[in-house]
Amino acid sequence: MTDAPPPEHTPEPAPPFAMTGGRAALDGREVLRGVDLTVRAGDVVALLGPNGAGKSTLVRALLGLVPLTAGRTEIYGVPPARFRDWHRLAYVPQRLPAGGGVPATVREVVASGRIARRSRWRPASAADRAAVDRALEAVGLAGRARDSAHLLSGGQQQRVMIARALAGEPEALVMDEPNAGVDAERQHALAATVGALAAGGRTVLLVLHETGPLAPLITRTVHLDDGRVRREETPEMSA
Amino acid sequence: MSEMLSYDFMRIALAMAVLVGLSAPAIGTFVVQRRLSLLGDGIGHIALTGIGLGLLTGTSPTLAALAVAVLGAVAIEVLRARSRSGADVALALLFYGGLAGGVILTNARGGGASLQSYLFGSITSVRAADLYVVAGLAVVVLGVVAVFGRELFLLGQDEEVARASGLPVRFLGALVAATAAVTVVIAMRAVGLLLVSALMILPVAAAQQLARGFRATMLLAMFAGVLSAVTGLAGSFQYDLPPGPSIVLLALGVFGAAVLGGAVRRRRRTAPAPVLASREAEAEVAGR
Repeated sequence: MTDAPPPEHTPEPAPPFAMTGGRAALDGREVLRGVDLTVRAGDVVALLGPNGAGKSTLVRALLGLVPLTAGRTEIYGVPPARFRDWHRLAYVPQRLPAGGGVPATVREVVASGRIARRSRWRPASAADRAAVDRALEAVGLAGRARDSAHLLSGGQQQRVMIARALAGEPEALVMDEPNAGVDAERQHALAATVGALAAGGRTVLLVLHETGPLAPLITRTVHLDDGRVRREETPEMSA
Repeated sequence: MSEMLSYDFMRIALAMAVLVGLSAPAIGTFVVQRRLSLLGDGIGHIALTGIGLGLLTGTSPTLAALAVAVLGAVAIEVLRARSRSGADVALALLFYGGLAGGVILTNARGGGASLQSYLFGSITSVRAADLYVVAGLAVVVLGVVAVFGRELFLLGQDEEVARASGLPVRFLGALVAATAAVTVVIAMRAVGLLLVSALMILPVAAAQQLARGFRATMLLAMFAGVLSAVTGLAGSFQYDLPPGPSIVLLALGVFGAAVLGGAVRRRRRTAPAPVLASREAEAEVAGR
């Protein structure tokens, strides 16, 4: 009853993500071993680390998709189980192929990213359609909108999932390895997209193998190893 | 056709066929999307226990089947969500238990003959009162698809993204299973519990061969469902064949035709390769 006051009563708005002492296990193996991490509004954070360091588990735990065994995590100041403003977030998962046993067009998949902004009973509005158009433009797939998403290449499917996240016009975006299997030209295009988001004051949390063309945009890098944060750097420090 | 329509029982049967042909593929599209094509078969087995209970207690077998099938379907979904590995065996237990329990219960009442009609369908024995029940259930199924369709679509695409969008994924999963159970009860009088899943899956499998999108697949599947059910019924009347299996064989025929049609269309489409798309694909291969 006492926690989660309305944002206007707090002097400083709660950060998009804040985890303290976060521990989590997958199939009985402890993957996160006490993580402290705060992602502030407007941050562009790169989460780096070797394979198996727990990067994907950490972002999933931040979103409440993996339960913590100890510690706590909050989304905009609210524990995930009680968080309701899901339209403020979007998540781009790592796994491919993009889902389901029935074909879906690129546009259908991208439009589903609006779901947190649309009530169950309301048909798509002009604003919904315009947001979907912009998202498709941003990833360069406007010309493929009517094609089956599952017939696209892996990199193109990745872009479909990024467009789905953009379509929801979130305040904070979480992307798990958005550059995996994507050519250099497209990595620069993603950097342009992230740059536009950052310029608009959005928060971006990226799981990356290497920063690549995104490097100039990143306000903080977090190195994860063996389920713990080893070090955090701001580019000014490392430069 | 006009001779067929001069019989009351055939008019009722045709109305049933249309309702089944529309509603089974509609929810079936989500069942296939979630890769649960055998779910309908399992629910059909479980529903048989409901039939047995209904016959034994003298209540409506349809309503008893509805109650048991919905409970069983939700139980399946809970088991599936709980554990990925153990659920497989638990499902098998439910299926076999449902079938064996149904046969024992029906025989306890000496209803072996009516068992046959539930296993393989008896659409021509449906009375007007049954038709109203089925019509009401069909409205429920189509209503669920209309109201929850967008959420169910995202659930089938990616369960974690659905959760991160704030969707009630457990409720939605149970909703798909329960709606499939309602559909099983609708279709049971038409094609029988052992073939019930065919009308949920085959029209969708056929539509997938031809459609690029989800909505198009569903609409095409509903068309294929009505086509199979109505022509199968008409054929069975014409040639004095059992209606349920006739409908299912026709649905298989529609699927076969769709596979051929899809193959022809793909060949035609791949011949003049779109330049832009192939260049982009090459670039991506090179970038890996």
